[in-house]
Amino acid sequence: MASHDISQLTANWMAAKWASWICLYVILGIAVPWAMTRAWAHQHQAVLKPTLKELFKHGELGLVGLMLAISVIWDLQKSQYSSHTIALGSVFLAMTGIMSGAVWIESYCRRSTGIRFTPERAWRDSRSLAFLVFSLAAMTEILLDRFAKVAGQ
Amino acid sequence: MSASGAAAALAKEARHTVAMRLADPAIMLANVSLIFGVLLIVFPSSFPHLILKNWQNARLTPILILLTVALNLGLYLRVAHRRAAKPGIMASACLGSVPVIVLAGLNLLLQRTILQTFTGDIANASGRVNEEILAHTYFTLIAGIFAPFLIIRLAQQIRKSDS
Repeated sequence: MASHDISQLTANWMAAKWASWICLYVILGIAVPWAMTRAWAHQHQAVLKPTLKELFKHGELGLVGLMLAISVIWDLQKSQYSSHTIALGSVFLAMTGIMSGAVWIESYCRRSTGIRFTPERAWRDSRSLAFLVFSLAAMTEILLDRFAKVAGQ
Repeated sequence: MSASGAAAALAKEARHTVAMRLADPAIMLANVSLIFGVLLIVFPSSFPHLILKNWQNARLTPILILLTVALNLGLYLRVAHRRAAKPGIMASACLGSVPVIVLAGLNLLLQRTILQTFTGDIANASGRVNEEILAHTYFTLIAGIFAPFLIIRLAQQIRKSDS
């Protein structure tokens, strides 16, 4: 059983589409915007060295989470899973995506209307919910990867 | 009773019921999800085999119910302790009952899905069913943790807007 696991593990890593999918989102969704602020500051010779926390302090990570959920729902819809499984997965991804996006919406509304706004709380909530969407999305991609292999046999 | 004793007693009495936010269970849910993913990557055949074996023996749903109820109550009590608030009876009842309803309901849905797959004349039906069980187990686990907190949060919002 263990030797079978090891051989399958190696094969899975060689063809893991989900790993490149995770890298794509982390790099394009989080690292690139952060690097672009650094590049802008360097170009304009400004003293600006924002951390990730400062860059996403208004709950923007919540919006990243919502976009991520939408892309995985789309992948799930295209899969050959049964309609029940697709519906179940899509509903949970949509709900967590909406919760994540709501952090950014609430933050925007509070700032616009002058109602008490705590950047610390917006950052903490958006980070937690974006992490949740990310882990759900990564896990769904792993399951989709496995199912595609089985369905292709 | 001394003055400090009376003040402590009053403060204890004035302790409000804990208010949950949806961000509270998010980290725990994400960690459960990651642990499930890591187990699936590290043990690509043993872990699904274990789930299938337990499902065939009708032990999977009771195990999931125990796991989700324990995780939910643990998290709720931890949040209450951290915010120095008292746990609510209705919320505790919700945390104990909703996972049972959700997990039992989704188990019925899974059985229907399996029946449909086997009667649908689909190639490699048994392989597909195994993957369906795995996906269902994962989504059910997440639903069992997430649903009670969502209901508690909605109830809090309704009560807040009524008062």
